[in-house]
Parts: sequence; C-alpha cells; structure tokens
Amino acid sequence: MFEKVFQFEVFNNNDLLSVIGLIFGILTFASLLFFAIGKIKPDWNISELKSRTRSWWVMSFIFITATMFSNTISYIAIAFLSFVAFRELYSILGFRDSDRYAILWAYFSIPIQYFLAFIGWYGAFIIFIPVIMFLLIPLRLVLKGDTKGIIKSMSSIHWILMLTVFGLSHMAYFLSLPEIPEFKNGGRGLLLFLVFLTEINDVLQFTFGKIFGKRKIIPSISPNKTWEGFIGGLICTTIIGYLISFLTPLSTFEVLFASFMIAFAGFSGDLVMSSIKRDIGVKDTSTAIPGHGGILDRIDSLSFTAPAFFHFIYYLSY
Amino acid sequence: MQKYILRFIYSFILRIFLKLIVGVKFDDASFLEKEEQFVILSNHNSHLDTLSIMASLPSSIIHRVKPVAAGDYFGRNKIISWFSRFFINAILLERKGITKKSSGSPLAAIEKAVDEGYSLILFPEGTRGQPEKMKTLKRGIGIVLSKNKHVKYIPVYMDGMGKNLPKGGALIVPYNAKIKYGTPKTVVSDDSKEIMTQIENDILTLKDELH
Repeated sequence: MFEKVFQFEVFNNNDLLSVIGLIFGILTFASLLFFAIGKIKPDWNISELKSRTRSWWVMSFIFITATMFSNTISYIAIAFLSFVAFRELYSILGFRDSDRYAILWAYFSIPIQYFLAFIGWYGAFIIFIPVIMFLLIPLRLVLKGDTKGIIKSMSSIHWILMLTVFGLSHMAYFLSLPEIPEFKNGGRGLLLFLVFLTEINDVLQFTFGKIFGKRKIIPSISPNKTWEGFIGGLICTTIIGYLISFLTPLSTFEVLFASFMIAFAGFSGDLVMSSIKRDIGVKDTSTAIPGHGGILDRIDSLSFTAPAFFHFIYYLSY
Repeated sequence: MQKYILRFIYSFILRIFLKLIVGVKFDDASFLEKEEQFVILSNHNSHLDTLSIMASLPSSIIHRVKPVAAGDYFGRNKIISWFSRFFINAILLERKGITKKSSGSPLAAIEKAVDEGYSLILFPEGTRGQPEKMKTLKRGIGIVLSKNKHVKYIPVYMDGMGKNLPKGGALIVPYNAKIKYGTPKTVVSDDSKEIMTQIENDILTLKDELH
C-alpha cells in the first residue's frame, strides 16, 4: 500500500534533484539578498518583496512535496488547486442565486476530470469539460427556469471551468503519460519543467519590469506590464528552458520553442486575469497568499501555459 | 466531556472543513480569551453562521459560549433539541413570544445564561434574511445588555455565508466567505432602542470595512 502511494525514485534522479536544488538555491539567494538590503538600506520599502519571497518558499515546498513523491497525492493536490481557483473566481464574478445548482454541477466536474486524468483515459479527459460540461451547464441552468441574465451565466460558468479546471488538469495528465524509452524523467520531469519555467517567467517579468520598465504594453489593463519586463522575461526564460532541457525528451530547437511559448503563454494568462480584475474593479482575487493576492493571481499564467505546453509535447513525443 | 467534544468538532473538524472546502476566511479572534464575558452580535444569512463563529473562537473558550437559536426550529422535537443543546451548546429561544410582549419570558433563558457567566452568540436580526441584506434588529438583547453592563458586546460581520448556504438551500455550494470581528464594546445607555441603533451601526461599519 505504502509503496503504491509513495514513490521515492526522485532521490535517485539527479535531473529532478538538481532542478529542485536550483529552486531552493534561487529562494535562498532571494531571501539573503532582501535580508541584506533590509540591513544596508533600512529606508527602502521591500516588505512586499519579503512577504512574496516567504510565500514562494511555502508554495515551492508544497508543490515539491505534493508532486514529487506520490502520484496519487499529486492528482488530489492539483485537483484541490483547481477547486480553490474555481471557488475564487466564482466568488468574485457575481452570479445569480439561481445559478447555484449549475455551479454545484461544475464543482462536481472537478473530481471527475481529475479522475479521468488519473486513470489516463485521454479521450474522455480531453472532451469532458469542453464538450460534456459545455452541454450540461446550460441544461442545468435552463431547468431552473430563470432566464434573466442566463447568457452571462452559461458563458461565465463554462469559461471558469475551462480556465481553472480544464487548463490546470493538464498538469495532472503529465503524470498519466505513457513512458518513453530512454527518457527517465517522465511526467514528473515535464511537470517540473512547466511549473518552474512558468513561475520563473512570472518572477523575471516582474523583476525586469521593476528595474527597467518604461514602455507600457497595455496601460488600460495593467500599468505593471512593460515591454522591457516582457522581453527580458521572454529571453531569460527561453535561456533557462534550454539549460534545464534535460527534464524533457525534446530536441534543442524544440525546447527553445517550448520555453518561448511558455513565457508567451504565461504572459498572456497574466494579462487576461488582469483584465478580469479590471473589469470587476478588484486589485487581487482574494488574500489567500501573502504578498501575491489570491490563488488565481499566482496560477493565472499556469492555466494558459499548462495546456499549451502539454499539447505541444503530446504532439511531438507521444 | 462536552467541552472536549465541542473543541474537537469546532476548532478542528469544522474549522478545517470551513476553511478548505467552504472557503471561509477567519479573522483573528484570540483577543476573546482575555474577555470575561461577552455577547457576539452578528448579521445572519445562513445556518453556517453559527458554525463559523463557533469555529472561529479560540478553542479554550468554546464551551463557555452559547449560541442563541430558534426553539421552534432547533428544538422542534426532543432528539433535535438534545442534539442542539449538546453539539451546538445552544440556548433554545421561543421566537414567537418576543413579539407578543406578554410575559417577557423569552428572554429568561438568555438572562439565566448570562447570570451563569456564559458568553453568547446572537443574531439580532432574529432570522436568516436575504443574502447581504440586513433586517431591522430585535430589541431583546438590548434589554439584556442594559441590565448587565459588565457584559461587553462584540459586533461581527459575515460576508458570503448566504451564498454558501442560503435560507431554503439544501446543499452547500462553496463560495469565498469572510468573518470580521469588531472590537469589544460596553453599553452605556439604558434605552434598548438606542443600544440597538449603536449595534447596528457597528455591524454596518464592519461591513463597509470589508468591501
């Protein structure tokens, strides 16, 4: 039983270990840097950066323990992440009271989607939300009989599902991909590659934007998104992707393209979530993660990069 | 025995359930440990309200806090009545009696608990209303507070509970909700109406702070 749930081959896998080491190395560096800045320049206000870094420690720790040692727990953990993200978005978008039952159906689709990923039934996994839930949600709404504002409910519920459940569940499906001979890192390596690149891209775009940012890309959506940050992040992320390409079975050219795509998709996801927050007039989706805002503020880019990278690699390697 | 069962149910099981699944964001309530005796007064939209306030309390004082519940609902038969008294630690109140003004006896149960030194959780709206809308407050607790000036009241505002489990809803549909605690206050006035206006303002101030 214990061996079935937990697998510790990560300790024999130098590729995974080195990237995990790299993550904690970067975090240690950031913590020491901010500690030093706090001592040398006490008048600089870096408390937000400090709490962000602290949250990064916690998130990295949770992610690594939840995904590297146990397949079963990985599915549950990512499903829970979807659930919290769905709840967060549902809570801020403002639905009618009569939407509750359709929302409940949507909640129930989360364990089903992750179960389909768990058993590796690709055909059902890939159509469950885009096709089946797409048909069921409007039906449930119609049965309730409240037509005022029903179009908005039909479209938003399904859109939230696509973003927070369908998109993120691709992270879980990496773990169900069949083994490729000669490629020992498997789904875990790909998942680590995806999440690490997506998050480092967020951090790099933020950092480049803070230091060099001048020209705003779309000021009406976010004043913090600048060309300098975007391009700086894009270039660095592509280079880092190349450096950790040993996690993937891809060729050099393919891995460069994949990293570039992750950086671009991550940026798009971030931008889309910013525009939603603009629309409803909130700064953060909640206050779940100190320094970052809500869960969605952190995983907005992942919900774009996960399906993009998954289908790229699925087409090329599986 | 009941003390430990209550602690286990509220501070452990329900707190985890409310936090992780329902999505309740708890406010820090550790300051209540220092308060001798208090009445928590909150808006009321859902059956989750009492459970959430109980779960938000510091575990060391849970057994000393009694929620005031509607006798016609939570005491509608012997089993439910026993269940409410044991697992919710509730004081069962006959709602209909208050409006009749006949004997003043409906308040007797509350006054008895206050005399015994218990703290209370009470929803002065009297019943669960429409989500996010406050109804006019009932005066009963104002009368009790004016007679017991040593008891502080603590305004609490809860947001989103009515979306999780509204009146008439049978199932919880998770929705990010919040509990916000105000600071403990003492009553000075003897007029229960005046006290109720003050309480209403305090709760509405908390509402504004949340939004």
